[in-house]
Amino acid sequence: MATVASAEVVEAPPRTTSMSIRAALLRPELAAVCGLLLTFAIFATLKPTLFLALPTAITVASTASELGIVAVCVTLLMISGNFDLSIGAIVGFSGYGALYTLRAGYPPVVAILVALGCGVLIGLINGFLVVTTRLHSFIVTMGTMLMIRSLLNVLVQGVPTKLNLDPRLANFIAGPNLGGLRMSLLWFGVLVVVTSVYLLRTPQGNWNYAMGQNRTAAQNLGVPVRAMTIFLFCVSGFGAALLGTLQAARFDSVDGSRGLGLELYVISVIVVGGASLFGGYGSTIGTMLGAFIFAMIQSGLVLSGAPGFYFDGLVGLSLFIAVFLNEWFLRNVDRFRGTPSTNTRASAPQQSSEAAP
Amino acid sequence: MSVEGASSELRPETRGEAVAGRHLTKTFGPVTALNDVSFSVEYGRVLALLGDNGAGKTTLIKLLSGVMQPDSGELLMDGEATHFRSARDARRAGIATVFQDLAVCDLLSITRNIVLGNEPRIRIGPVGLYNAKEADRIARTALHRLGARIDRDLSSYARTLSGGERQALAIARAMYYGSKCLILDEPTASLAARQANGVLNHVRAAADAGQAVILITHNYAQALSVADDIVILSHGTVAGEFRRGEITAEDVMTLVSS
Repeated sequence: MATVASAEVVEAPPRTTSMSIRAALLRPELAAVCGLLLTFAIFATLKPTLFLALPTAITVASTASELGIVAVCVTLLMISGNFDLSIGAIVGFSGYGALYTLRAGYPPVVAILVALGCGVLIGLINGFLVVTTRLHSFIVTMGTMLMIRSLLNVLVQGVPTKLNLDPRLANFIAGPNLGGLRMSLLWFGVLVVVTSVYLLRTPQGNWNYAMGQNRTAAQNLGVPVRAMTIFLFCVSGFGAALLGTLQAARFDSVDGSRGLGLELYVISVIVVGGASLFGGYGSTIGTMLGAFIFAMIQSGLVLSGAPGFYFDGLVGLSLFIAVFLNEWFLRNVDRFRGTPSTNTRASAPQQSSEAAP
Repeated sequence: MSVEGASSELRPETRGEAVAGRHLTKTFGPVTALNDVSFSVEYGRVLALLGDNGAGKTTLIKLLSGVMQPDSGELLMDGEATHFRSARDARRAGIATVFQDLAVCDLLSITRNIVLGNEPRIRIGPVGLYNAKEADRIARTALHRLGARIDRDLSSYARTLSGGERQALAIARAMYYGSKCLILDEPTASLAARQANGVLNHVRAAADAGQAVILITHNYAQALSVADDIVILSHGTVAGEFRRGEITAEDVMTLVSS
């Protein structure tokens, strides 16, 4: 056996440029980049004058930001192997939190903090329920989704209610202050940067991926899986509440049906952005691209004169394509990345069965 | 949250008794899984724990790794009585259990797998960021200490590893993070002969580097080829204790089924 002490520090082999290029190409965002370019090319060809105009850019950015703010937060949760279906309900409920606080006579800033707090609190409840009951998060959050939505409708009596938020504050958090672009784009950008750094450059980011790929291994190695799960549900709740706050401020109203069905669009955006439905794989940059693809499809269809109900059809179609590409890519990923070892290649598809909770 | 790589450079004592069990008994309702079992393993030696299904091997591992507590009897580490209330306790005390399929995250890089749960950090204000350069150094050093050769970029996904290389990764990781006693549960069960040989070499290398190793296996010939000490369990009791060369695979067969 080789003596250990002589060469404790082992030199890393040099990285070649072609390796770096390959690594860059094989990030989870690759398909989303292609999808984005394709969508852009299609609508830019169909309606060049309308689609390539500033007002369109502003609409697309606004839609993408609002969808993306939630989707980026939920991406972290999905990578860890969990779902959150209650986000749509949280969007509606957080607005009510702000309304209640304002009516109780507190300052507008407090109202916004309460609205955000509602989301974190519901996330805390979701996470706690998932960790203690050990039920699948899909079921747990479906339950809380229905209960929160129902509670909201009872509270607002099913009618939209005026919020009366201080216009200066509303304008500061949700107004078109960025040369016509809405502030939501700024919050979205901040979230994408923060979550990307978190995923790729913190120990917790490493745990986040490990939980989704092999929960037991992570637990055995000392990753605080339960605490992380609760934390990630709080992040998801926070994202939804942030959108709820922005929309309440923008429309200056609270509506019992706000955010209805949002969870399905958000999951679609995340999957189109390259994340695996089974957890363990994905990125928030990809989710950002997914949000822009969705926003372009939505605006592009309107500008092309297509009836609005084509939108869900196209969403469904892009979802199919994305899931198919993602899972194919995941199954074959070692063919592209790293030098495969000579044997044990046969057991490749085990990943999904391992990661699916 | 994890301690900041504090124990990473700990090297275990190189001589003397590392872990021992004294008169361990464990019952599940009417079933006695372990009955007055005693054993010990020294630093730098491999103890093979042999026995049929239901002989009590799994129960003994669970007691050692803190998953269960004995009804009576005691565990000793470095000669002192210890009591593990949880798996975490046992891990902190330096007992690393390597289960066969539960050690690796397929879509993390080899490096990230090795440092998982012990990631080196760079402090930037209140935030502790992942130290990729240090992690790479740790991964290389850990594999090198075991003499494990994984001839590819360590940023490759762990999915590309063969079964034997996964075992090597898990053993290297446990050794690097200061384990004193390494417990390997059927490490060669699903491996081809050549890879199994590689893993057995790693087992030997780990012991030579000072670890106390407990090897649990069904493959008696393999066990005899690498073990210094052999304990045979049968129906929850110790059916025999031997040193290397004192027993043949045929003898084990007879004892195991007695």
